[in-house]
Amino acid sequence: MATVEERVKQVTGRLLKIDPASIKTGDNFGADLGAESIQSVELVASFEEEFGIEMDEDAALAVTTVGSAVEFITQVCNEQGVQI
Amino acid sequence: MSSQIKKHPLIDTTEPNHIEDTFDYDLPPLIKFEDHPVTEYIDGKPVEFDFNSVKERDIVVTDTTFRDGQQARPPYEIDQMVKIYDMMARLGGPNGVIRQTEFFLYTKNDRETLDKCRELGHKYPECTGWIRAVKADFRLVKEAGLKETGMLTSSSDYHIFDKLKFKSRKECMDSYCEVVDAAFEAGVRPRCHLEDLTRADIDGFVLPFVDRLMEMSRQVPEELAVKVRLCDTMGFGIGSPNAELPRSIPKLIYKLNKECGVPSDRLEWHGHNDFHKVHTNATTAWLYGCDAANGTLFGIGERTGNPPVEGSIMEYIALKGGLCGIDTTVITEMAEYMRSIDLPIPENYPFVGKHFNTTRAGIHAGGLRQNERIYNIFDTTKLLGRPPKVAITDKTGADGIALWVNEFFGLTGDDRISKIKIHKLARWVLDQYEVESRLTSISDQELETQTRELMPDLWAKYKSPATANA
Repeated sequence: MATVEERVKQVTGRLLKIDPASIKTGDNFGADLGAESIQSVELVASFEEEFGIEMDEDAALAVTTVGSAVEFITQVCNEQGVQI
Repeated sequence: MSSQIKKHPLIDTTEPNHIEDTFDYDLPPLIKFEDHPVTEYIDGKPVEFDFNSVKERDIVVTDTTFRDGQQARPPYEIDQMVKIYDMMARLGGPNGVIRQTEFFLYTKNDRETLDKCRELGHKYPECTGWIRAVKADFRLVKEAGLKETGMLTSSSDYHIFDKLKFKSRKECMDSYCEVVDAAFEAGVRPRCHLEDLTRADIDGFVLPFVDRLMEMSRQVPEELAVKVRLCDTMGFGIGSPNAELPRSIPKLIYKLNKECGVPSDRLEWHGHNDFHKVHTNATTAWLYGCDAANGTLFGIGERTGNPPVEGSIMEYIALKGGLCGIDTTVITEMAEYMRSIDLPIPENYPFVGKHFNTTRAGIHAGGLRQNERIYNIFDTTKLLGRPPKVAITDKTGADGIALWVNEFFGLTGDDRISKIKIHKLARWVLDQYEVESRLTSISDQELETQTRELMPDLWAKYKSPATANA
């Protein structure tokens, strides 16, 4: 089964139309991967769908890098009892 | 210069200061003055003005929608005027904040309108007339049974010599005073409209004429004493006491009030908007001693128009610090009625324009979504029945679209949905511009259709027939 990091990169690559393999943990969604404002919202919605979780809007949108997204999603999954 | 420089240390806090005592969201922002009078100079001598006196003074709004307002458009039908008068009575309330409105008396329709308005039985606005300062016109006032009439007593030499063709100022003044006498004899209070005052020779004609009016008024009962309307016919008035006559509004009022002795409750300001100063000038007149500010609904009047009555109403509340019986929601009804009788109102027009509290920028919509007070002037839902809105374009952003969706479904508090949940609709909107090269804003109907399609769960929850009937 894919790790949280792999799944985050797959979702990000699909939405931003870039190769998931080229995405690094330290990449910033906006500055490095080119996510525009609406795409940030779409990323959060796609992560919710991928992991079956509900994220706090403000907290989720405050996440700026791939690595911190992995940490944040892991924490939310644990809090909401979602197997990862 | 350097000695005036003062350090301003930061007053740090973690709690916002919303300045609530001025920006009470339930009212238009209050206009507050410091507790001491201001000293201004008139003719080189210091004079004190206490702007706080407006709280105690019986300042009022007077209306000329059916006179000056009607000079700027095709005539209203009788029923239309009666309907507008009825709404005006509700707007001004039982305390008569809209104290009077004036009517033409020349045609059968004019007189029938006046009768029908009076038949409604409202105490306010009181109905008054408007005539030229000629004796023949006065018969109309007597026949209508009015207690007060305005009369055109033009005051500039442009009017006295070039329009009315008097041979001298004395001949003009004598002629005006004859009609004032006729009014006294008939038991009607004359209201002398000093037409073109802000272009008149104040020392040479206006003050001597008003001196004479005051002398005549001392010979009659108080209820007949002459009122004086200061007419800024061409919009030349200036709000500064230091401006030269004839354009300084404070100076004009001071001289009529203090030097000629016309009390504030018999002084009225009537402005025009030729230089975009109309509303502020009317407020200036209130502050410097005119108790009545004359205007028209939505500012519709000769050429560029008059002070908007609804603007004066908001200013009145802001100065008085309370509604005083005013029903501001009628302003919205009036605007809708005006539109229904083919009187267009610009979309950005304050208080009633279609988009007066609509934001288009995404960054503003984001603020609105967090707290509507950030970008709404006051509680427009409560005072005008108009919640703040966002217009959807490529600049709106997810925040604005979330705001639209929440307003559309009527969601409040914890029920409001986040922008995460509306991302499909936000994408559709953006694609309209980025993919479809659209150049127009998106209508509510289009968004409604897309909402139904892209967010079926939400639609089923809040818009299904079962929910709608609940």
